[in-house]
Amino acid sequence: MEDRFLEFVKFDLQIIALSVFALLYALKVYQLMKLPWPKERGPRRGSEELGVVYSFAWLFFPWSMSSTTQHIGRWVEFALYHLGAGAAILGTFTIPFWPAIMTRPVSLTMAALVIGGFIVGAIKLARRIVAPELRVVSTPDDYFSLAAVEVFFFFTAMALITEARGWMIAYFLITAAFLFYVPFSKISHYVYWFFARVFFGLRYGRRGIIAGKRA
Amino acid sequence: MEEQKTVVEQAKEELEKRFSRTLAVAASNLCVHCGLCVDQCHYFVATRDPNISPVAKAEQVRRVVKGEHDWLRRIFPWWTGAKELTEEDLDKWVEAAYRNCSMCQRCVVNCPLGVDTPLVLATARGVLTAIGKAPEILVQLADAAIAREENLEFFKDFYLEQIKELEAELQKKVGDPEARIPVEVEGARFLYVPLSGAHTIMPAAEIFYHAGESWTLSMFEAANYGIFLNDPVRAKRITERIIREAERLKVQEIIITECGHAYAVSRWEAPKWFNDRQWTFKVRSILEVMDEYIQTGRIQVDPARNPFSVTYHDSCNLGRNSGLFDEPRRILAACVEDFREMTPNRERNYCCGGGGGLVAIPEWQDIRLQAGKPKAEQIRATGASAVVASCDNCRHQLGEINEHYGLNVRVMGMAELVANAIVPKNGKK
Repeated sequence: MEDRFLEFVKFDLQIIALSVFALLYALKVYQLMKLPWPKERGPRRGSEELGVVYSFAWLFFPWSMSSTTQHIGRWVEFALYHLGAGAAILGTFTIPFWPAIMTRPVSLTMAALVIGGFIVGAIKLARRIVAPELRVVSTPDDYFSLAAVEVFFFFTAMALITEARGWMIAYFLITAAFLFYVPFSKISHYVYWFFARVFFGLRYGRRGIIAGKRA
Repeated sequence: MEEQKTVVEQAKEELEKRFSRTLAVAASNLCVHCGLCVDQCHYFVATRDPNISPVAKAEQVRRVVKGEHDWLRRIFPWWTGAKELTEEDLDKWVEAAYRNCSMCQRCVVNCPLGVDTPLVLATARGVLTAIGKAPEILVQLADAAIAREENLEFFKDFYLEQIKELEAELQKKVGDPEARIPVEVEGARFLYVPLSGAHTIMPAAEIFYHAGESWTLSMFEAANYGIFLNDPVRAKRITERIIREAERLKVQEIIITECGHAYAVSRWEAPKWFNDRQWTFKVRSILEVMDEYIQTGRIQVDPARNPFSVTYHDSCNLGRNSGLFDEPRRILAACVEDFREMTPNRERNYCCGGGGGLVAIPEWQDIRLQAGKPKAEQIRATGASAVVASCDNCRHQLGEINEHYGLNVRVMGMAELVANAIVPKNGKK
């Protein structure tokens, strides 16, 4: 009976949560696509296509923006945090669906990444509480989302390190809860991020502001 | 009888009209409130006031948009900060969108997510204009530009008289009694659109004279206060005067004087408004024309004629909004001996604080000068004795911050600098 419960949270619950998650995102994207889009029409000075490529690439080059050049530590935090999130999310697929690759070294490497993310998350939470410029714009969702990701990181790391049944159940339960919550929270920023970078690249590329070549 | 709508209802209606895909993204959960934009804003850098950081300003509008569109708005609006619009909010929007933002876009190019904060605040400007809460002076200036076309016959003789006086001055300057400032010339290559004031006509006229250009001076000014109001109807009407003139005179190109917003409007925004109209002319900035003249040898310049150290201020509208970064630098390389870059520059440059129509609003002079502090520090750090700006609003603001911060620099336009450097083909000058 206990094993059946683990199987349920590992497979059935994940599939249900992922389906709801995908459906909600599809709805978000559909709502966006229905809206009018005032496109640039002035004769091109630069390349829209290159602009979009640059726009996405900027994320990986901290020297491409003054904000990340001035605050290189924040960029490192960003990288570690998202690597941690990536590893934690990856685990929700590899553990149930591709257990063969979850050797001990792989599990521990993923756990290390998740722990890195957890530490950065704690710093981010502390900064949000302390820094006045962040406090004035923070909503309950800001604090809760950060805290929720910390909980997710914690259970992921414990599941990966111990590989114990109890931690695994907790990890998958938390993951499912997380999947239900994410589309309503600021954690869903990455869906909009894709659109925002495209808009940015098209505009700033066409106008010859980024992406080098200028007519 | 239809019930009178309240200001708040009108504002919500206007906001809804402007709810595009780009705004929906900018006003969504895209912004994670990371705060990386905070010290990229000259207002924050100058004041350290957390309430006027880009994210804080945008948040005032974003929360109202969320109040209309966020999925949690009906169940837990407070959770994501979603709120119902109130009249008090609208007054705060005036501060956030008109007083405390010059629409410089520095926050956008420095946001890792690409949150378009100026779009959010420009939307607020448009809503405020529609409900009658925009700064009155900007509305008056926009309406005056429209009225100029409607009453052109009334202005025309006086304007032509003024141009005749300038023409006499030009003839004296270039030593040629045949030198002209042409007006209403059909079939000219360029329609040059100046601003009010001889300073935007004389240097250009001198350069065109030496280049042997076929040009005609516009009857209108390039300034478009409709764009500061984010009022597409007014902005379109102001631009349309020039388009009609260009079509009537059958010119090949409209050349916009050294004015950042006027260039950005004509080059990038207007094509969106006149989507149904086939343009028979190109739009360029006088910067691009001067660069072409120098590169092709159509005018000869001697950098020794500008024997002082010069730094260049990238106007936000010409640079970060329009991509004119290389042209001014090529011109400066040819026309001055000692050019010193500001740090940071190009798309990273700080706004001077005078953009977004702020130089026209005297009651906000204090905050405008305060917000100009990072620019003042940039200029001071170069040690240059002159600062060149290719935007009239910037020059006005730079002139004021020069005095306010005791910079002791000369504020110049690029055309003035080029005109100084010209080596006349006849050897006179």
